[in-house]
Amino acid sequence: MSEVVSLSSRRSDTRLRIGILRLTDSAPAIAAHEFGFFAEEGVDVELITEPSWANIADKLAYGFLDAAVIVPPLAFAVELGVRGICQPMIIPCCVSLGGNTVTLEKGLAARIRVPERDHRSTLSALAAIVRERDAPLPLGIVHAYSTHNLLLRYWLASGGIDPMLDVKLTVVPPARAVEALASGHIAGFCAGAPWGEVAARAGVGTTVATSDDIWRNAPEKAFAVRARWADDNTEALRGAVRALLRAAQFCDAPENASYTAALLSRHKYLDADSHAILSSLPGGAVTPNNLSRFWRNAAAFPWRSHAQWFLRQMARWELIDAAHDLQALAARVYRPDIYRSIAASQGLAVPLSDSKAEGAHDWPWQLDAAPQPIAMGPDRFCDGVIFEDAPTPVAF
Amino acid sequence: MALTILLIDTEGDRARALEEKLSESGFANVVRAEGPDLAAAVEQARPDLVIIDMDLPDRDALEDIRAISAARPIVMFAGTDDPSFAREAIAAGVCSYNLSGVALADVKPIMASAIALFQRYRHVEIELAAARALLDERRQIERAKAILMRDRKMTEPEAYRWLQKKAMNESRKLSQIVAEFVASHEIAGWEAKS
Repeated sequence: MSEVVSLSSRRSDTRLRIGILRLTDSAPAIAAHEFGFFAEEGVDVELITEPSWANIADKLAYGFLDAAVIVPPLAFAVELGVRGICQPMIIPCCVSLGGNTVTLEKGLAARIRVPERDHRSTLSALAAIVRERDAPLPLGIVHAYSTHNLLLRYWLASGGIDPMLDVKLTVVPPARAVEALASGHIAGFCAGAPWGEVAARAGVGTTVATSDDIWRNAPEKAFAVRARWADDNTEALRGAVRALLRAAQFCDAPENASYTAALLSRHKYLDADSHAILSSLPGGAVTPNNLSRFWRNAAAFPWRSHAQWFLRQMARWELIDAAHDLQALAARVYRPDIYRSIAASQGLAVPLSDSKAEGAHDWPWQLDAAPQPIAMGPDRFCDGVIFEDAPTPVAF
Repeated sequence: MALTILLIDTEGDRARALEEKLSESGFANVVRAEGPDLAAAVEQARPDLVIIDMDLPDRDALEDIRAISAARPIVMFAGTDDPSFAREAIAAGVCSYNLSGVALADVKPIMASAIALFQRYRHVEIELAAARALLDERRQIERAKAILMRDRKMTEPEAYRWLQKKAMNESRKLSQIVAEFVASHEIAGWEAKS
């Protein structure tokens, strides 16, 4: 083993290595890096575009990355050591709401096309097709521990399609989903923007549902940091979060959409058609229910109720052991307290509670926040269920 | 002991070298897979160990291998009892999935070979990139000299000295000066044409 040079993950400087994937919602991290927001906060950031979720998870677990723009279920998987060794993680802020599409092969989509796009008719038409097939319908998800897997399963199950029996869920990395659809390897996929739009532009797929059809303003990506790094670099962490919040506001502003799309399309980031990216950005989206939101609707706040929903769904599909104390786990990883102290110091409005009733709003509403309320979008689930984060049991 | 190893690597030379080394050692049957359906390849080969290039996005497809291998355990890398070993594998850009729970002691020499090979190829890549950069720099200098000779009627040695002097005066690298000079003159030329 003398040939092996150990690249120690211990570093004395406060460089922050952030892993991202080729997705629209990497936008705030890319903008904060390219516009020098991180640098202005004195944080030396290295942004690393990884090819797969597995790389993000392994490099976090073994200390090759300090942080990542990540699907929250995968952050929990790293925290629990489901895939190997444990690495404690914290989420001091979230990155995006919405942005995923359920995109089916063109011919299949044409068969379930309903005149007014309405997810109930879409779902029942899909259920009819699934029932008349001999073999389960092969659908791509980006990772077992992804929001996509949980949202797709939730949606299918709400329409009487059994995600374990009626369909065959296959893991296909987002940037490969279009290719897999074109080759017939899968009949459809649930992936983040811009890949649904890329499939449509390539003439191989049609989007039949979006995150919003499953759960309006569904939580999507989070900024997860290794807890040890965060403990050792409290000031740098605060600086990085400030830079990300600033970038979130930039990327959320409709007038910046084409600028952001051009930045993201660059070879070292998404390496994809900037028009396809534009269609998933606030201000650039043609269909308003198919966009990533970075700031509006309190998108950056790490809601404990979001964490709870993810964990309960992970337990539902046996991705984690339901015997875990899910309340404690959510409280350990999701850190609204850190968000609140950083945002308040910037004069930004902060929600007064850590949880909210998920799915209770059909229409825009106002969230109690200080110093002023925050305008929120609807948060209805496709099955109309209202999800309440169970209160912490009293210990006596 | 003969383990079945599924090797997934699009770098052909490296894959062949590793296959040769492992086959020679006699402790492994190596099966090579390419193409999009790696899960099917695993199902077919029923390997004890999968060795894969970390930079392949296809690695995500192996994440769901539980569904195929049913009750068979998955241990990432070479087991969780030696994290330093896994760290070296990641640094080299190789990853392994231990599908049948083979003991770490049996996997270690195999992974050591893979890590060493991946590292060697990584060095070659870095050297190649450096050589390309050097070549590119030479080419840029030639172009800058040609522009000076054409526009300012300098001789070749004069043009070179002019560039060197500019770099010295601005205390910057010659390569930077040359790249900027060529870029600005090429844009100017393009504007003049249009």
